[in-house]
Amino acid sequence: MNATAIPRPAAAILVIEDEPSVSAFVTAALQRRGYAVVEASSGAAGIDKLRSGAFAGVISDIRMPGDINGADVHAWISKNRPDLAARIILISGDTANSETQSLLASSPTPCLEKPFRVQQLISTVEKTFGKP
Amino acid sequence: MREPKRISARHTAASGRKAPARPSQNYSQELMELAVDAANSRVLPEFLRRFAQRAAEMLQGEWAAVAEIVGNRIELHAGAAESPLSLSKREWLLETLTQKRPGLEILELPGGSRLVALYPIHAGDGELMGTLCLLRKKTAFSPAEEKLLSALASHAALSMEKVRRFSQLERSKKQWVEDIDAISDYIAVHDQAWRIVRTNRSLATQLGIPPAALVGEPISSLRHIAETRSALPCPFCRDTREAREEYVATGAGRTFLVSTSRTRGATEEESRTIHVLKDITDRREAERRYRELFDSIQEGLFFATPEGQFLDVNDALVRMLGYDSAEDLLRADVSAHLYPTPAAKERLANAIAKHGALRNYEETLRRKDGGLLHTQQNISAVRDPLGNVVQIRGLMLDVTEQKMFQSQLQRERDFNQKILNTTQSMILVLDTAGLISYANRRCYEAGYREHELIGHRLVDWVESSHQNDFEAALQTTAHGQQVDNLELRARRADASLGHFSISLSPMRDEANQVNNVVVVMTDITDAALLQAKLAHSEKMATIGRLVSGVAHEVNNPLAAILGFTDLLLENPDVPITAREDLQIILQETQRTKEIVQDLLSFARQRPTQKEPVNVNSVLRQTLKLRSYDFSSHGVEVIEEFDERLGPTLGDAQQLQQVFLNILNNAYDAIQESGNHGRIRIRTRRAEDDVEVAFIDNGTGVVDPERIFDPFFTTKQAGKGTGLGLSICYGIVRAHGGEILCWNNEGEVGSTFVVRLPAATETALAAAAKEAGR
Repeated sequence: MNATAIPRPAAAILVIEDEPSVSAFVTAALQRRGYAVVEASSGAAGIDKLRSGAFAGVISDIRMPGDINGADVHAWISKNRPDLAARIILISGDTANSETQSLLASSPTPCLEKPFRVQQLISTVEKTFGKP
Repeated sequence: MREPKRISARHTAASGRKAPARPSQNYSQELMELAVDAANSRVLPEFLRRFAQRAAEMLQGEWAAVAEIVGNRIELHAGAAESPLSLSKREWLLETLTQKRPGLEILELPGGSRLVALYPIHAGDGELMGTLCLLRKKTAFSPAEEKLLSALASHAALSMEKVRRFSQLERSKKQWVEDIDAISDYIAVHDQAWRIVRTNRSLATQLGIPPAALVGEPISSLRHIAETRSALPCPFCRDTREAREEYVATGAGRTFLVSTSRTRGATEEESRTIHVLKDITDRREAERRYRELFDSIQEGLFFATPEGQFLDVNDALVRMLGYDSAEDLLRADVSAHLYPTPAAKERLANAIAKHGALRNYEETLRRKDGGLLHTQQNISAVRDPLGNVVQIRGLMLDVTEQKMFQSQLQRERDFNQKILNTTQSMILVLDTAGLISYANRRCYEAGYREHELIGHRLVDWVESSHQNDFEAALQTTAHGQQVDNLELRARRADASLGHFSISLSPMRDEANQVNNVVVVMTDITDAALLQAKLAHSEKMATIGRLVSGVAHEVNNPLAAILGFTDLLLENPDVPITAREDLQIILQETQRTKEIVQDLLSFARQRPTQKEPVNVNSVLRQTLKLRSYDFSSHGVEVIEEFDERLGPTLGDAQQLQQVFLNILNNAYDAIQESGNHGRIRIRTRRAEDDVEVAFIDNGTGVVDPERIFDPFFTTKQAGKGTGLGLSICYGIVRAHGGEILCWNNEGEVGSTFVVRLPAATETALAAAAKEAGR
């Protein structure tokens, strides 16, 4: 089943994650719960998609290679898509990182620490974006 | 001796006998003639014989004589050559003459045939000069004859006195000539007409002619003896108006001191000029040598008044004091300039007055140009008979160079001493046998005592396991090679062991032989500790970065594994057997997740919470968690809490985790040792830190250096991940504190110390603000 192949009844969730296996797990988990998902494999690609489309919410990894990381995506949304500012879920693989800590400390944005269970993901998504 | 038979004493005129009549004027005439004879006589014995002859004739005597007293003997001057007296009577007479008599005495000659008249002859001053004696046939002396005898005696006295005086004069004149002749100096006397009046014998001998031969010769004939370049006819006269002259003249290789006296006579002819030429050639030579020595000697010599005015100085002194010439130095009283202070001059004067002579007297003098001259002087005072100092003489050495050298040496010595004494290193000098011969002040400041060091072997202070290293280094140095930064443990003065860095340098004698070893010891215990701490924290930081990276990398696949496992388990199509396997995958994944999370806790750099924490309270809560276990296993917990500890800022949960970990560790160590367990927990304020110490009596720690490294565990497999203390380390570091571990010294067990920064007022205020936001 391909998420981009079928028309979406509602706005999709944008998953920005450079790690394909993680992205695949998150996408699979969300789709089984009935969510539409759009994947982006980098911060830049995610912002590109945010410019053109409407999304129910954004799930973004914090640490990603390239010029734009999760914090940048978060900042871009706060500035350019205030409608989505409260609809962001961050994923972190490294909460010991001080940048991550300061980002999390400065906003009420929820964060999922890797590795997380499916149940943790779904309950955070439902709480933040609502049910599909 | 027979007593002469006395006929009459005193004046025989009293006998009243009649004397033969003789006209008295005849006596007068004859007496007059005698007086004339006496005046003309120069030779006394002849005169006295004539006198005796006349007296015998005048008084009809058979024989007459004058007995002259010459010294202690009697000399008879008889008128007739033939004496009528037998030898025995002559002896009797001489015997009788020795007796004193005040006036005329008439005796009977032994045998009774003749009379002897004896009349004493006295000089004007009463001295007995002799006796007039007259022999006559037994005819009594008339008073007139007695008077005549008296007159004759007086005449004899006058004559004798006159002749005696004359001969005395002759004698003394002769003596004077002899005296003059005995003088070795040349004496020449000339008159106004420049004619020699006299010379003494030594001058005549020098000229090779008798003295008399020179008399009447012109004084200019003596010109060759010495020359004064006088324009006068006399070579020795310079200024005839002077009564006295004295100068030095030379001639024929000799030097003379010419002393001239001029006597003014009653007439021009009688004026005399007396020259005495003293040969002072030898003296001049001695003087010349002395002067040469005086002037050529390198030491300064001086003669000065007691007030310090120089009277004579040598060239060396002139040079020393920087004057142009001796005259320059002697011209004015330089003492005011010479002495830098009046007190210095006074000090010298007092010292001379007190001691008379000064040896190696040191004085700083001022040269003419104002420069300072350091001198050493030997001074002696010349005193008059009353003991007053009339002159000072001295020898002066210029010791400026020595002084400068000395003071430079002193400065260098002081400098070296200062370096030795102010350096923070201990510096010791050992002989080649390793015995300490010198220790600088730092050694004593460090608490070592002199009697513990000097004469003892330094190696005895070195910890036994390092003694071989030290001995080897000492040998190397004794062979001339330097040994640098040898690090070893040695005993401190308080018996504690310290970590020392030691450098050994060879010290060589004149023959280039190593005879001493200089040891520089620096206690680097603190530095070593600091370095170890630094190295440790660096290591931990590196591990932290590694762990953080690994955790992050592991978390991604772990997230996928855990996620997909969850999805599979949700899938009703998965058979039950596979579901069981999936449960195991899930469990192991969870376990991996925990390990990774522990690693991240270790690597975490900041506490998640920052709020005021009372460490004592956290400790009590932690102890509550373990109190059951501890009491049931007989582990005693001693709480020594300082209630004035003050708060620290941090995460109470995390700190509890730290304390719990340390307590668990201690508990395990106690269990392992089988000791009666005891854990002492002490809190205190250590400067700006809140300090918690956990002191247990367990097995101790195998490697305290590595105890906080991740996965470093001595526990049996499965009993722990080996991350517990690493997490503690991470948490404490994240709180800005430090955690330390060491084995108890001299006791069993180990000590863990956690130090956390005490919260300052401003930090507390900032935290309160943060919390209230």
